[in-house]
Amino acid sequence: MKRAKGFLTSRGMITVLWVLGIVVIWEIGAFYIGQVKRTPENVLPHIYQIIESVFSTKAVSSGQTALQVVLTSAGATLTRAGIGFLIGMACGFILALLMSLFHMVEKIAFPYLMIIQMIPILGMAPIVLAITHDIGLSRIVIAAVLTFYPVSANTLAGFKSVEKEKHDLMYLCAANKFQVYTKTMIPSCVPYFFTGLKISAPMAVTASILVDTLQGDGGMGCMLSQSLKHAMSIMVFWQLIFFSALIGILSFYLMGLIERLVLRHKPARELRAKEEAE
Amino acid sequence: MRKKLKKGTVSSIVAPVLFGVFLFVLWQTQVLHQLFHTDTFTLPLPSRIVTIIFDNLSKVMINVQATVIVSLCGLILGSLLGYLMAIIAVVFPKGGVGGLNVVSAFNAIPIVALAPVITNWTKDVSDDASVRSMIAKILVVMVVCTASMSVNAYRGLKDVKPFSEDLMKTYAAGKFTTFVKLRFSNSAPYVFTALRVSVPSSVIGALVSEYFAEYIIGVGRQIRENIVLAQYATAWAYIVVACFIGILMYAVLMIFESILLKHRR
Repeated sequence: MKRAKGFLTSRGMITVLWVLGIVVIWEIGAFYIGQVKRTPENVLPHIYQIIESVFSTKAVSSGQTALQVVLTSAGATLTRAGIGFLIGMACGFILALLMSLFHMVEKIAFPYLMIIQMIPILGMAPIVLAITHDIGLSRIVIAAVLTFYPVSANTLAGFKSVEKEKHDLMYLCAANKFQVYTKTMIPSCVPYFFTGLKISAPMAVTASILVDTLQGDGGMGCMLSQSLKHAMSIMVFWQLIFFSALIGILSFYLMGLIERLVLRHKPARELRAKEEAE
Repeated sequence: MRKKLKKGTVSSIVAPVLFGVFLFVLWQTQVLHQLFHTDTFTLPLPSRIVTIIFDNLSKVMINVQATVIVSLCGLILGSLLGYLMAIIAVVFPKGGVGGLNVVSAFNAIPIVALAPVITNWTKDVSDDASVRSMIAKILVVMVVCTASMSVNAYRGLKDVKPFSEDLMKTYAAGKFTTFVKLRFSNSAPYVFTALRVSVPSSVIGALVSEYFAEYIIGVGRQIRENIVLAQYATAWAYIVVACFIGILMYAVLMIFESILLKHRR
């Protein structure tokens, strides 16, 4: 156990070193840009400039400081992304269940699932907006559609991965279909379900931000395009970039955390095998 | 047995096709419009979309070309970079694995955040707006494709069959020979697993990065431009084209995979 802990911290240290390396490269670039450009902060500001702007109390837009602008818009975006994510998650799971229950549904739906993956759904954002007529609703719909595919494809793979021996055992126990699903199929698909969630959580955030750029009504994408056009301090742009990157990464790790909480009772061996497979 | 298999494949082709025809009929007869409470202006009829594509075929092809070049170049460069990262991680396990972690963290950064930044950075690359925005778009797609390739290829290079490594040792093969003969060929299926993820995402990355690019070209940009002008029928035409690009690239990948991995099955 202790050795595992030591290994973990050393691995963490290496990641930290890599991040530091990126910071150093960024700063070297910023120094270089600062000498050759007239407005270096548009291209590559120093990291301390960005951090400074986070804590500055100067109002940049309708009496709000840069940080307040970022946080309020992020709140709006994340709420929509979150609702869409939950809806997509539920629909994806239900469809996977249907596909596993009825073979015909799988035959009909699976090719279309593949095609949905191929359709640039982010490119369809304007069309969904045209159909729903409500920017908030269309953001939710797109986040849901993007969440939907990875969740249902992975969950279906989870249902299919149940060993034949388990099916035989359930048959011997004279279990009915409902019992087979609640006792073996659903518990064993949970890790796969979370793999799908890990893929789709950053995608839901991306979708929500992208749809923001199409129309007003607040949100990170809206502020992103405004600050890019210099309607407010360019530092808002850099804060938004870092913040959205952070949210994307955190949403991924959040799913991992929830997975670990849910699967706490599972034997560690299975989890480790799964982690290696990921 | 053979007959049964054939019957299965036939029904698995017929069922989805029937469903597609059903949807198509609903769309063309405007039942879909009533369902969504919309009109033929925002959701044009399929016949009209197809007419628009064929009427503007030359213009459509220019945009398709731009998008395909961006997504293919980005895909190839990103995959090569990802594979290189995987090789580094296998050769230098201590530092390299941390690098892989950082790369997969990059994957979680939304494309919308990446695209404007890279457009900013590539302003000085060329005086020609079409060239520099092309480079910016390729770089975005490259970043999108690197992560899945590096993670999958690392697994492929690492997970060789338990005794094959010992076998290579008994042959007195050097590290380099082991790498080329054993690890390299072992990683091939994993490379295709990675490509299955990154081909669709390269197309999507190209479409989205076009939104933020300086030079107005590409299928994704045309979707957006036409929406802004409220020309929904034209926008739909480009959406259909975008779907075709994605499906076609995926199909090409599948064909390549079935040819190259034929001996493994």
